[in-house]
Amino acid sequence: MASLIGIDVGGTFTDAVMITNGVIERKGKIPTNQDDILNTLISALDYLQISKAKNIETITVSTTLVTNAIMQKHLPEVELILFPGTGMKLSSLPWPVDYSVLTGVLDYRGRVVVPADQSEWQTLAEKLNQQSVKPLTAIVSKFSHRNNVFEEQLAAYLHREVPGITTALGNQSGKSNFYRRTLTTYLNLAATELFQNFAYQLKMAVEARGCRAPIRVLKADGGVLPLAKIRPVESIYSGPAASVLGTLAQSNPEESYVVVDIGGTTTDIGLVLSGSPLISTHGAQIGPFLTNVRSLAVRSASIGGDSAVCLDQGEIMLADYRLGPAYCIGGISPTPTDALRYLNLTDYGDLQRAEEALGMLLPENQRTASDLRRTAEIIVEKMVEKIARAIQQLLEEWKTEPAYKVWEVLHHHDDFKFYIQLSGGGAPGLEAALENRMKMRTVLTKFSEVSNAIGAAMAKPTFSWTLHLDTKFSIYRIEETGEQGIWTGPKKPHREVENFLKELAQKQAAGLGIETDDLEKEIFDYFPLVENYHTVGQIVKGAMHVPPGVIGRIQS
Amino acid sequence: MNKTGIIFFPAFDWSLGEFHPEREERLLYTQEQIFEEGIMDLPQVRQYSPGVADLFDVLRTQAIFPDFQQHNLDAHLIAVGSSLVLGNALMKKEITNGFALVRPPGHHSGATVWGNRGFCTLNNEAILINVLRAKYGIKKIAVIDTDVHHGDGTQDIFYHDPNVLYISIHQDGRTIFPGTGFTEEKGGPNAWGSVLNIPLLPGVGDEGFLYALENWIMPAVEVFKPDLIINSAGQDNHFTDPLASMNVTARGYGKITEMIKPDLAVLEGGYAIEGALPYINMAIFLALAGEDYSGVVESQKPQNTEIGGDTIRSFLTDLKRTNEAVRPSWAFRKEPFLPAGDWVYSEKSIYYDTDGFKENRREYIRKCSHCGGTVLMISQKPSVFQKAVLVRIPFEACPDCEQAGYDLAETFQKSEKTVLLQNQLRNQVHLWTDGREVNPFGG
Repeated sequence: MASLIGIDVGGTFTDAVMITNGVIERKGKIPTNQDDILNTLISALDYLQISKAKNIETITVSTTLVTNAIMQKHLPEVELILFPGTGMKLSSLPWPVDYSVLTGVLDYRGRVVVPADQSEWQTLAEKLNQQSVKPLTAIVSKFSHRNNVFEEQLAAYLHREVPGITTALGNQSGKSNFYRRTLTTYLNLAATELFQNFAYQLKMAVEARGCRAPIRVLKADGGVLPLAKIRPVESIYSGPAASVLGTLAQSNPEESYVVVDIGGTTTDIGLVLSGSPLISTHGAQIGPFLTNVRSLAVRSASIGGDSAVCLDQGEIMLADYRLGPAYCIGGISPTPTDALRYLNLTDYGDLQRAEEALGMLLPENQRTASDLRRTAEIIVEKMVEKIARAIQQLLEEWKTEPAYKVWEVLHHHDDFKFYIQLSGGGAPGLEAALENRMKMRTVLTKFSEVSNAIGAAMAKPTFSWTLHLDTKFSIYRIEETGEQGIWTGPKKPHREVENFLKELAQKQAAGLGIETDDLEKEIFDYFPLVENYHTVGQIVKGAMHVPPGVIGRIQS
Repeated sequence: MNKTGIIFFPAFDWSLGEFHPEREERLLYTQEQIFEEGIMDLPQVRQYSPGVADLFDVLRTQAIFPDFQQHNLDAHLIAVGSSLVLGNALMKKEITNGFALVRPPGHHSGATVWGNRGFCTLNNEAILINVLRAKYGIKKIAVIDTDVHHGDGTQDIFYHDPNVLYISIHQDGRTIFPGTGFTEEKGGPNAWGSVLNIPLLPGVGDEGFLYALENWIMPAVEVFKPDLIINSAGQDNHFTDPLASMNVTARGYGKITEMIKPDLAVLEGGYAIEGALPYINMAIFLALAGEDYSGVVESQKPQNTEIGGDTIRSFLTDLKRTNEAVRPSWAFRKEPFLPAGDWVYSEKSIYYDTDGFKENRREYIRKCSHCGGTVLMISQKPSVFQKAVLVRIPFEACPDCEQAGYDLAETFQKSEKTVLLQNQLRNQVHLWTDGREVNPFGG
């Protein structure tokens, strides 16, 4: 019997589970040390006693390492080189980093309109040689997802001229949106060394405990990839994805529901439609950086059981930060957890201290039982209101997803019967109030205290292959991998193009250690290319996905 | 900074046929361009999801003959519905302006519809305008049609409406489809001057276009004092367009948009799929969003020679003089079925180029000094011996005109197979088939 291990590093606690045949064998929470994620993870593994476990199939971690490094600006300096070509001015968008600009224009099909100016490259190489011994350089051109020529040529040139240089190219993530592609390339390069060190040390620590199980990392899109294959930037915001997957592993496979996971400082909200988590149409945003990292559509509301409660001109307010744990478990400030404890909606923490915490919000002469009760109720109401608004926002976002085909629009608003799957610390105490506020049936997730770790343990690998084929130019490109190649098939392909993509996907999946049994095919679009009333080729767009999901269900 | 709404609905699964210029790849490169530029990520931009228009909103503005079910309208209803989504967002002040980048287009689709003409079946802007008037009580709206083709459908719908100023600047109808839009067409008996047509010589380029805007169109708009301005944004004045020859550039379009300052722009034609659409749509969009569009540069350069400044200036001066000299000449007619009042009569033949048939129409307009006047249209599709009748009681109709509309509806429902009453005054639509009132809206 092989076991699955899941660890989710949260803002306050790190959850850990060991699951064997759908049964939770061990579970627990340990405090997170945000300054030392590696040791937090290793402590969690020790807590699960992995060295004693006989047969571990995989260890999956959801880590805030890269998120923290980005948010705290603990990233090394990266030289950002752009070929922005023509079109919108760079200054129209906010750039959180400095960049330099080179000459060269591609059009929307990747044709060179204005060639690159190699005399500029020489100046650039000289500058890089002077600046740093081992410069990190991200090179991105507009439309490089259609033609990587400028990026590849400049990289080759710099590798000749600048010893020790490391380059990252925009076309390696071939998704459109020059701005997001640039920031993603930049962040990924900046986080690579940090992540590789972490990966190496984690692997060593696990092996030192006599465990040879492969280590996988949870991604923002709810999928996992082996530690060595993941692009570091893809690990951002895997926490909310873990919430959604954890719920998925503990509910009926076909149902549609809103996932609400109440944590200490934030509440994560996600959407599952007929058993499939909703993917965001845009990429993830992290701090000031918009990326093209594929992610689940999730909302993170800044409210949790530990949110500080304070008075603002006599009115009770819920802050969007925490000042340590709840007062009833030894903290310094009143929190929603204290209110829930006082109302006996939970049995977590000391009742006496909960009462004291609420009393701090009232003048001394008003600390009667009914006033304390009313205060506690207001806190719970306000918390539910904040969560309800975030749920409504996500539902609204889902309803207003863009659509580009008649078929999509006509089938866009299929009716789903939603209910709420509620998990997290304060969940039991908020069930009734949330049900009442949202007018939606609310169900408590069984192992809600370690739901995220369950999600990590049971997540399946995901991957997508989005093909863009231009048969006029005989060039194909894969967005996710940045692969660009020559098409040797017919000018007007049909079935052969789907088989081509399928074979390519299967081959690459094998390299990533992903099974492709449930490869999902999107409807392919075939655009005829007409010049002077003659069809001269086609542009074909299509995609295949290994969708996010979980391996089996947790036995309750 | 402007808060700009965008709906991008390319209808990638809808096409009129394999070799048709209005084809599914029309917005393919625009998508490549706008997605790659990241314009949806501009902080002032909000992308909206397409909507589906309902039948009521369509029939209040256009009569679909012989009956609604005989047309496949899915794609058209989404193009209209998407324009309505932006209209509603504008009224709710979520946005300061918006661009409905949708297909199929609509401005050749008129008051009566038997099929598809000039790639249009439903008129996106006209339906939008009447929704804004009915739902939000907007009084006066100006439409500036910058498509290279005359927007004969939009003109047809509002020809008798004094509260909609329709201005079209286009390539001369003697040289291009649909063969209308001459400067003599200035509006019906109760709406004289509410239509302004500026047919241009081919090849005037940015300079001529901007000159006409500055010296003629915008002053006319200023006099009219509209509550809203809608731009029928056709992209076929571009120097690469295969169907026209106007020589306008993408940056020229940016400038045009900056001058018109439309509250809403709705995409119309434009068939230079590669050379024009991706660039023009970007330039218009950036101009709406208040961003610099000077970096939008086509990969091709203009080949044709432009008509020079003096030539175009004197041409437009002459045209303006002709326009001002035109006087109305109404033909009055008495018929036994017409209620009291003076009725102006005209005839029209409309060619449906996509489907290859003709509609013949007899129009009667009640001359009125109080309102837009009741309109009667007796429409015929001769090829199949079908006849149908539209009666329109206008927005803000006077009591006499309202009564005339009811009388006409009553008269014709007995004798004609299909009768549609658009009661814009009371925001009602009635449809009779074989003398019986039917409810086409379900429920």
